[in-house]
Amino acid sequence: MTTQFKVLERNHPRVDAYDKVTGRATYASDVYLPGMLACKLLPSTRNHARIVRLDTSKAASHPGVRCVITGTDFPDIRFGSGALRDRYIMPREVVNFVGEPIAAVAADDEATALEAIELIEVEYEDLPSVVNPLSAMGTGAATVHPELEDYEGYGFTLGHNVSTLLDADRGDVDQAFKDADAVVEDVYRSQGINQGFLEPMACVADVEPNGRLVVYASTQGPYQIRASLAGVLEIPVSRIRVVAMELGGGFGAKLRLTFEAFPALLAMKTGRPVKLVNTREEVFTMNGPRLPVTNYIRSGVMRDGTIVAREAYTIFDVGAYLGAGPNSGIGHGIGAYRVPNYRLRSYGVYTNKIYVGSYRASGVADMTFAVESHMDRIAHELGLDPYDLRVKNALREGDVSVSGAVVPTNGLMETLEAIKEKIDWPRDLEDGHGLGLALCEWRSGSGPSTAAISVNDDGTVSLLTGSVDISGSDTSLAAIAAEALGIPMEKVVVAKRDTDLAPYTGQSGGSRIVYSQGTAVQRAAEDIVQKLMALAADRLGVPEDALGCEDGRVYVMDNEPQGLTFTQLAAASITSRGGPIIGTASLSSMPYTPVFAAQAAEVKVDRETGQVRVLRYIQAQDVGTAINPMAVEGQLDGGVVQGIGRALTEDQQFDPETGAVRNPSFASYLMPLAMDLPESEIVLINVPAPDGPFGARAVAEPPGFGPPAAIANAVYDAVGVRVKELPLSGERVLAALNGQNADIDFDVEALRRAEGIAAD
Amino acid sequence: MKQPLTLTINGESRLMLVEPYYSLLDCLRDEAQLTGAKKGCDEGDCGACTVLMDGKPVTSCLILAHSAHDCDITTIEGLATVDGLSPVQKAFVEHGGLQCGFCIPGLIMSATGFLQANPDPTEEDVRFAIGGNLCRCTGYARVVEAVMAAAQEMREGR
Amino acid sequence: MARFDYLEPHSVDEALGMLEKHGTAARLVAGSTDFLVRWRTGFWRPEVVVCMQHVPGLDRIDFNDDDGLSIGAMVTVQDIEQSDTVRARYPALAAGATAFAGVQVRNLATVVGNICNASPAGDTLPALLAHDAQCRIVSSSGERWLPLTEVFVGPGQTALAAGEIMTELRLPTPAPNSGGLYIKHSPRGAMDISAVGVASVVSIGPDGAFSSVRIALGAVAPTPMRAPGAEGRLVGQPPTDQNIAEAARLAAQAARPIADVRSGAEYRREIAQVLTERTLRHAAATAVGGATDFEDIRRLAVQTAW
Repeated sequence: MTTQFKVLERNHPRVDAYDKVTGRATYASDVYLPGMLACKLLPSTRNHARIVRLDTSKAASHPGVRCVITGTDFPDIRFGSGALRDRYIMPREVVNFVGEPIAAVAADDEATALEAIELIEVEYEDLPSVVNPLSAMGTGAATVHPELEDYEGYGFTLGHNVSTLLDADRGDVDQAFKDADAVVEDVYRSQGINQGFLEPMACVADVEPNGRLVVYASTQGPYQIRASLAGVLEIPVSRIRVVAMELGGGFGAKLRLTFEAFPALLAMKTGRPVKLVNTREEVFTMNGPRLPVTNYIRSGVMRDGTIVAREAYTIFDVGAYLGAGPNSGIGHGIGAYRVPNYRLRSYGVYTNKIYVGSYRASGVADMTFAVESHMDRIAHELGLDPYDLRVKNALREGDVSVSGAVVPTNGLMETLEAIKEKIDWPRDLEDGHGLGLALCEWRSGSGPSTAAISVNDDGTVSLLTGSVDISGSDTSLAAIAAEALGIPMEKVVVAKRDTDLAPYTGQSGGSRIVYSQGTAVQRAAEDIVQKLMALAADRLGVPEDALGCEDGRVYVMDNEPQGLTFTQLAAASITSRGGPIIGTASLSSMPYTPVFAAQAAEVKVDRETGQVRVLRYIQAQDVGTAINPMAVEGQLDGGVVQGIGRALTEDQQFDPETGAVRNPSFASYLMPLAMDLPESEIVLINVPAPDGPFGARAVAEPPGFGPPAAIANAVYDAVGVRVKELPLSGERVLAALNGQNADIDFDVEALRRAEGIAAD
Repeated sequence: MKQPLTLTINGESRLMLVEPYYSLLDCLRDEAQLTGAKKGCDEGDCGACTVLMDGKPVTSCLILAHSAHDCDITTIEGLATVDGLSPVQKAFVEHGGLQCGFCIPGLIMSATGFLQANPDPTEEDVRFAIGGNLCRCTGYARVVEAVMAAAQEMREGR
Repeated sequence: MARFDYLEPHSVDEALGMLEKHGTAARLVAGSTDFLVRWRTGFWRPEVVVCMQHVPGLDRIDFNDDDGLSIGAMVTVQDIEQSDTVRARYPALAAGATAFAGVQVRNLATVVGNICNASPAGDTLPALLAHDAQCRIVSSSGERWLPLTEVFVGPGQTALAAGEIMTELRLPTPAPNSGGLYIKHSPRGAMDISAVGVASVVSIGPDGAFSSVRIALGAVAPTPMRAPGAEGRLVGQPPTDQNIAEAARLAAQAARPIADVRSGAEYRREIAQVLTERTLRHAAATAVGGATDFEDIRRLAVQTAW
């Protein structure tokens, strides 16, 4: 690849690769401190019940047990994932889902802690419960949070069990539907999904002799869990230090406080370090996954394929608590298309099951499944080619997005053209084989971002960032710093994050690190370059504007041999008048920069078993400037495979009566394995982002959006059946082949009526 | 009650006091301070705890520690030497066969055991050989590429 | 959480003595792949674990034409999967072994342990039934041989009495012109419990008709089961598509599937029929056409790759 860059657009092994391939990388569960106690949790066995009696006396007096805590040991303070505070860290009186931890034990070892857990006595008084979100919205259903309106942060009354409502409107929707040549209407349902990170939640809490709490955490957001811990423990933020250990996967599940408060309180009460490592079953039953989503979608279209109206009602099950926003944004009901008239509604609905968590652009994969399946349905209704329909309606530069921002330059069309060529669309295939497409959209993530780069006396630099590395971002940030400073990658050392040491920053998530944090790093590096220029001007005795800078060397433009290298300047800076050099930058938001990806699947359907095998999967994504192409492709590989799992095999199931997770293990929640997958086929489109660091765009989220729809569309192409519910299991596809796939019930009229919208 | 147990780990004989119910994984992590093998599930379903027992990849979370006394145990910590990384480790670094890294010790041990017995595999062989290892980040593409590259390097190095 | 003591016999007799001494408080383990997992959940709470791993002489695979295949109690599933004899002469068992869990678990789990756990979905079990396995069971009062068909009593339950140990399996030498296959139905290529598994082993006589047929189904009844009605429908009949389809229908009818997190009951029955048909067709074709490469068996054994 030819490139204008010295460091970027070249492959760099991860800066942490040696640690990781030798087993030296230290994850939270690898922290062993002297005198450390083991913590175990007692889960609720009921999905909605009052705790009548919770007797921990036998457990507390069991030999080797040092402390037992329950909800009432914490301050009477609710917390939440956002403004709405709907949850106690440990229930004080009422449990809301099966698996909710109601007591914690610290003991000399795990076996003793487990024995103590078995000695805790609980009596419940069952309360009416509701598990199905569509029922929960109806009158007469049980209420999950009867006192919701009294909770802090509850800003508006929406009615029964509704926690949130997002809406977006444009144009005259009803008139546009009347004017349309055809109306296409569908209901889709997508399943519960576990984030599937390999490292269970883990934490070691310790108390320094001065009483300060130190938490070694497996987290994507050390500053955010510090703030939440301070809240639920009612201690000042300054009394807490969070050390973010190597993160063994999070994908959104570790953005916020999980169970760190339990070992923290136990450490504060015992004065000893306490370690909590969740079992895999606890990961599945205690920490929020994504929950099922039902999507009603209706489009008004003209004969030539132009979409003129869109209505979408989306019901997000949020479980017992709003553990994460149900939806990453309302606009995804439109997809990557220009639609002049729309009415979009997205409800979050409480039920008595495990609370909803975040996962790789929460909700967007569900929306994309609906929107992109629906696009093929429109094409088939109108007798048009699904590819042509997408090209016709795709967003162009200058269009106005749902957020109101203008769409800047982008590579959407190039991604579509790339997959068309690579999969050779359209193409006649043998019976049982089919092709399918999907178009994905996302935006580059924003949020508080900071960077500090300090120049060492030997010309190396130390990059200090508060962002947890979840995607190889340390390597990418180092590359950005090296490029901006004109020095080789090896001269950049990335410091590990610790809330005592690194500048405050937002969580690692939403594809924001390289884009936003990377911009901060670039600006911090530019800050250094400016300071070095000033120093060079001083040393060389010329004005600053007479100087140039290239390849780590500052020189006099009229006399290039006269100059100083980065290393010379670094050494000089130590004793200079200005002193050692440190560059800093911070920002809180970045301009809207969309990310587009087009994907194509080729599948084979076994007509006798219904099983679907993906033979080829092609993705083309506009990544802007590829900071580290190897890392970018790694993100795309992994994202698509998560999407293929969502399409075909992954299915978090809940008991219809109790809401309990029915498949809390890796043997029953089936993520893809190496032999289940086709080769990776990737086309990188590089249309530089106007605002990202050196033109980089966000990368990680869109790859996972497309597979459910692309594969469902390919199944339709292969065997002529439309499956509207995920996953596309053999059982479901065979039922469809046998003509047994029932439509999904959805009373859209009731929702329209509730808003006062007349039926048409 | 803890019982004495002598294990041969990475070529060294080590005497430890170990509970009868400890798995080999717990023994390695809690008693031998070798935390490279990871506890991803403790149910034999993820492969993150894979070590070599007499050269064969096994899930150490399923093994009673006390039953392993006559075996040679190799963990991820035993692969690199002072001269550098093993060919498999090196290939994972160079081909970007890792992201969060939590599953990587297990994957590298599976690949190492497999390549010792199968020096000239097809890509399909590799995909089956690592079929007992879950990875959520990489999608396996670069992992498979790394194992194939390591196989080639090991063949040529002989 | 129930703590236990670890005992390690060095002979079968010593193990029998330990079982006698501790009675129902003892649990015998071989590869231990199920033991720790089920102990951690509290499902098994023994006071004493008797680990067979250091009993010499139980790890042999032997074959001769007269006695057939002998599999010692400590032979692992991976030993079976890798055995050239098994691949050539007992293809359904090779398929069952390769469909079993993943490499790391196969390197630990024993075939006899798989029998003794008596999971309805155990991947080696239909193949062992279809290869007509006989089990050697010893106790302090002597030994007895039991056909595998009589070993399974219910989910997790066998006909072994307290104090008995299964030490060996024998699989008779297949007749000339035999073929077989096991297919596992699973959404994933490894590390999964079968939704359905079917093994068929057949021989074709000089007249071109089936001279023997054994069909065994997994995960569609409380125990792995043979399908005698379907078998009887085929013996003496030529391997036509119609005969095979009819037998598959009978096999599926004999199934008593349940619905669980993996699959609905009716789907299980449909799949049992499809897999019976496929394994029979493959078995009949290879009985006269020669054995299948292991690479192909591996692809065929896991249904997703069909």
